[in-house]
Amino acid sequence: MPPFSFEFFLSVFGEILPYLPITLLIIILSIIFSSLLGSFLAAGGISRSLFWRTVTQSYVFVLRSTPPIVLLFLVFYGFPKLLLLFLNINVNGWQKSVFVVIALSLLFASNLAEVFKAAYLTVNTGQREAALMAGLSEWQAFYRITLPQTIVVALPNFANTVAALIKDAALAYVIGLVDMMGAGNNLIARNFGHHSLETYLALAVVYWVIFIIVEQGTKYLEKYLSKSRAVDTTQSGVTA
Amino acid sequence: MLTVKNFKKKYHQHEVLKGIDMTIEKGDVVALLGPSGSGKTTFLRGLAFLTPGDSGNIIFDDQKIDIQSATANDIKQLRQKMGFVFQNFNLFANKTALQNVEEGLVIGHKIPKAEAKQIAQEALKKVGLLEFSDHFPSQLSGGQAQRVGIARAAALNPEIILLDEPTSALDPELVADVLQVIKQLADEGKTMIVVTHEMAFARDVADKVVFMDRGLVVEQNEPAEFFDHPKSPRLKEFLSRISAASVANNSFEYEKSSVN
Ligand SMILES: Nc1ncnc2c1ncn2[C@@H]1O[C@H](COP(=O)(O)OP(=O)(O)OP(=O)(O)O)[C@@H](O)[C@H]1O
Ligand SMILES: [Mg+2]
Repeated sequence: MPPFSFEFFLSVFGEILPYLPITLLIIILSIIFSSLLGSFLAAGGISRSLFWRTVTQSYVFVLRSTPPIVLLFLVFYGFPKLLLLFLNINVNGWQKSVFVVIALSLLFASNLAEVFKAAYLTVNTGQREAALMAGLSEWQAFYRITLPQTIVVALPNFANTVAALIKDAALAYVIGLVDMMGAGNNLIARNFGHHSLETYLALAVVYWVIFIIVEQGTKYLEKYLSKSRAVDTTQSGVTA
Repeated sequence: MLTVKNFKKKYHQHEVLKGIDMTIEKGDVVALLGPSGSGKTTFLRGLAFLTPGDSGNIIFDDQKIDIQSATANDIKQLRQKMGFVFQNFNLFANKTALQNVEEGLVIGHKIPKAEAKQIAQEALKKVGLLEFSDHFPSQLSGGQAQRVGIARAAALNPEIILLDEPTSALDPELVADVLQVIKQLADEGKTMIVVTHEMAFARDVADKVVFMDRGLVVEQNEPAEFFDHPKSPRLKEFLSRISAASVANNSFEYEKSSVN
């Protein structure tokens, strides 16, 4: 193995950074879709209907006990078959990134569902009743009163979940997607396995920078939200 | 103005309200007393359909509601006539004191923003909290929070205000200010049902005192008669436990402290 080359280390950035947008796009799309699905699952989890509670609990259980890499392969190999079988849709031409986004969204929706549900339950339900008595509709009470507080409460755990998602997104190369990680691996292959250390170190540095940005952004958002919105999380005594 | 007939409510097998009848005239202040677990909260929340009753009728002015067949629209229309003051305030934690009062005016009652602001400020001024307009609930004492809660209910100018133990979550030294605010509403002629354990207050402010026990209205009377000549044994026992002496001694105490 050749000695560590600082020059090569620097040159790696030129090779992998062009693929950063793909990595970021996958991360951002996965955050959006998993948040949407996670919200539905959270709503199902606190629904009065036993059916929906059971469905969402089962979903969360199954997804939380599937290793990300296993799920990625399941989606990559299984999803096209399912679509072809049930909907007669041929997805052979689809980009690999689509499967990555689907897998990550399915996976993190289950985590986010728990985050959202827990946050919603800490927000005093009496405020909803007060809003109804003030003439607001259920929907208005939700998005004007309960939701903003739920967001503030959920933010720290949401950020943790996003951090985990970003790291798991690095697995995308296993199905052959050329994102930043995939580009790094290709670079190593082109050098016949040499300079692996420089390559992975450069990749780590990029991730560190992403994490610094995410962390600072969260901190700023938390500060901003808690400044303008104090949250009351005292449990409401509905009776007595 | 408001008549309740045969209001019943069960939790599982437990019959909490066994058929409550009550009539409230415009301008009446009704104090609702009773031991813990007698169903006072259940009754008040049932009137507002926050936890709907199982059966019975609610007749409010010309609106007649059969509880079993009440539609969402019936409930909405009924709530428009009601204000509710909660034991634990339930202020909107993400809104300032002023916004708490404005919310129902602007969103609930579609009053233009400028006008709503004026009404809200007026309401806060009445409860002595105008200078706390920009405070969030977390920055208010319990007594201040409850006064905002009362202002929020009163600003909508409902025909009746339901108050469920408005002072029982407060430190003793904060109770007087809140009672004073409620008395002020009573003096203005507001119709109210107040669940309370403040006997002196009930005696002084109420037009009618109703005693509930084990899911039934056991006795009701005008205050002097109610407290001085209770008829049913259960009310006698209830009053003796609370101790007539303390009632006499504490009488009017809340009036001494002025709203700040
Ligand atoms: N959600 C509920 N589920 C089951 N039982 C309930 C529920 N809410 C109230 N109860 C029961 O109904 C009865 C009446 O309760 P309620 O809260 O109306 O009493 P209360 O007169 O307001 O008492 P307090 O003075 O302690 O506030 C109690 O026995 C209580 O245990
Ligand atoms: Mg009660």
